[in-house]
Amino acid sequence: MDDDLPTDFQVIVVGTGMVESIVAAACSRIGKNVLHLDLSDHYGGLWASYNFDGLQKFIKEVNSDPKRDLQVYNLCEKWYIEKESPEAKDGGDENKTDDSKAEPAKKTWSQSDFTAEYRKFNIDMTPKLLFSRGPLVELLISSNIARYAEFRCVTRVLTWLNNRLMPVPCSRADVFATEAVTTVEKRMLMKMLTSIVGYNEDEMNNEFKDWNDKTFQDYLKHKGLTPNLIHYVLFAIAGGNNNMPCLEGVKECKKFLMSLGRYGNTPFLWPMYGSGELPQCFCRLCAVFGGVYCLNRPIDKVGTKTVDEGKTVVTIESKAKTLNCDHLVIGINECPKELISPEPAESCDISKAVFITNGSIMASEKEPLSLLRFPPLADDDKAVTVLEVGPATGSCPKGLFVVYFIASKSKDAETDLKPYAERIFDMSGGDAESDKPKCLWSLFYNVKDTSAPVSSVVEGVHVCSGPDAGLDFDRAVEQAEQIFKKICPGEEFLPRAPDPEEIVFEDDVTHGPEFQRDHDDDEPKE
Amino acid sequence: MEDYKFLFKVVLVGNAGVGKTCLVRRFTQGLFPPGQGATIGVDFMIKTVEVDGEKVKLQIWDTAGQERFRSITQSYYRSAHALILVYDISCQPTFDCLPDWLREIEEYANNKVLRILVGNKTDREDREIPRHIGEDFAQRHGMYFLETSAKEAENVERLFMEIAVELMEQAKCKELPKYDGSLGPINGASRELLIWPSVKNHTVCHGF
Repeated sequence: MDDDLPTDFQVIVVGTGMVESIVAAACSRIGKNVLHLDLSDHYGGLWASYNFDGLQKFIKEVNSDPKRDLQVYNLCEKWYIEKESPEAKDGGDENKTDDSKAEPAKKTWSQSDFTAEYRKFNIDMTPKLLFSRGPLVELLISSNIARYAEFRCVTRVLTWLNNRLMPVPCSRADVFATEAVTTVEKRMLMKMLTSIVGYNEDEMNNEFKDWNDKTFQDYLKHKGLTPNLIHYVLFAIAGGNNNMPCLEGVKECKKFLMSLGRYGNTPFLWPMYGSGELPQCFCRLCAVFGGVYCLNRPIDKVGTKTVDEGKTVVTIESKAKTLNCDHLVIGINECPKELISPEPAESCDISKAVFITNGSIMASEKEPLSLLRFPPLADDDKAVTVLEVGPATGSCPKGLFVVYFIASKSKDAETDLKPYAERIFDMSGGDAESDKPKCLWSLFYNVKDTSAPVSSVVEGVHVCSGPDAGLDFDRAVEQAEQIFKKICPGEEFLPRAPDPEEIVFEDDVTHGPEFQRDHDDDEPKE
Repeated sequence: MEDYKFLFKVVLVGNAGVGKTCLVRRFTQGLFPPGQGATIGVDFMIKTVEVDGEKVKLQIWDTAGQERFRSITQSYYRSAHALILVYDISCQPTFDCLPDWLREIEEYANNKVLRILVGNKTDREDREIPRHIGEDFAQRHGMYFLETSAKEAENVERLFMEIAVELMEQAKCKELPKYDGSLGPINGASRELLIWPSVKNHTVCHGF
């Protein structure tokens, strides 16, 4: 069946990660003839979401294939619950609890429950948020790709302060409503936030002109902010640490503030069913404009050949077939190493963890969707970003939460992240009561940071970076646009796709019988 | 806000060449496209129908050719209210692939999705799959069943009308998440994102 695959394309894209998928969509949208392949049987590569079964397969695959080991390593999966529920089950009735009923008694989960409900999980390898006015949201709207995705607003931003979780006031209303901050502090904070919003890189003749070589923390101190406020702004809003340069802090804060007030209480959005949906939205657009899709298609070799008139094409050997293209766009993990130049500099890898728990880290009336920014707990630690998503996002069955931890790697994922997890979860695995949600399952792993841009030694080959440790998709969008501009100079990047109503069909049509003719027979039966 | 009470997403799957696009265009445009491949840039089509005096908007999604190498994105199945699985009654292999499609549907579609099995191309003289075989398959897998001809406009309107009626009924029993307009824009003409409202939570307190 694979062998009907055509062999000549203007653009071949290998890998269905975020950058590759955006480039594929952009090329197809302006009329390039695109083939999009993935070596595996699912979309997304390291950007994928998995259901529980898919995740188990992924873990097995990584553990058994030394090649995968180069991207993902130190994988450590752990259960904190029994294999089977101790009490006799009443035949799957629990699935029938619907929204309108009163709160059910807290369920005791077993491993077999996870297996039975595996489809209800969507667990992200690269969980990321969107800033409401960030480049990805703007791109989704301007290109009309937004129609393939659905979102929920992040309902709160939390931080860890004085040894407990604290909500961070995000909006002006929040600031004035909060009791954690005095009136004097409120005035100071508003004044400072106003000057941050006014910051403009181009005119350095402003508030920040003397702060080039100083830290953001020094600036906040200089503005007279109290330690609590400094904590909120530096760690929770700017997502920084003690050494964050002032201007970087200002930029991060501005990005946060500028995205407030568009969709919800916080500046952030989370894609329904997980971040892994987003590359697929771009793939769908690519396909709608004629892109050919083929998963499960390994490639053996990439080369070049010269055809008539001295023109060079890139060739790909795949399943005893040679595919030809003018441009090859390839994910860094799929790309043969000899094509990459220079070797990416040794970078700091990423430590990640996923936890499945039986409750939110902080109770709330409506199902929360939380971003928690942990400041470093020890001096040599890195700040940790935590995302908690619940059943309403399509991430897990009712009664559970999925919690992601992301940090730069110091030692290994478990050593780096476990101390943080223990602050907010009951990880004892016991039945004892606790005021913290119980951790039922955890997965720690390290990912190689392949987010630094690299180039290829072969003309016409464009290498896409892997996921970065950042909170949003901005770098992926930016890189995709750069690659597109190299392939299609002067062309518009993802112009708005027409709405169905606007499409005029050009094919000459042989009219079939009139629609209404057998209308009488068409009465729907009761 | 547009003038409709309900909006339902209907998606089609099935092997390449079984007539998915033709069914959609027959229903939405009342015509039968003669050739293949004129569908570049077409994502989904919309038709508003009336059920019990209420306007129901059907948003009908096609596979965009991704079925050719079995590479449909999971996100295609998300939030679908009804799923039409199509085979060609004159082509045995398209029927033989149905279990593969069902596996994919099980995996990615909502388990409450309304499923309809459609044997298309009843206008063809060279039928390979007798009606009762299709009917039997549908019954075994809890699906509605209908044979259609997009070319002769047979049963096509009935197919979509029955889907609209059934979905309306389900929506009224609150079995479905309702796109009733209050959810915000979802149709193609929107210039904003679809943001789901927050939900009341039953599971936030910890401990026992």
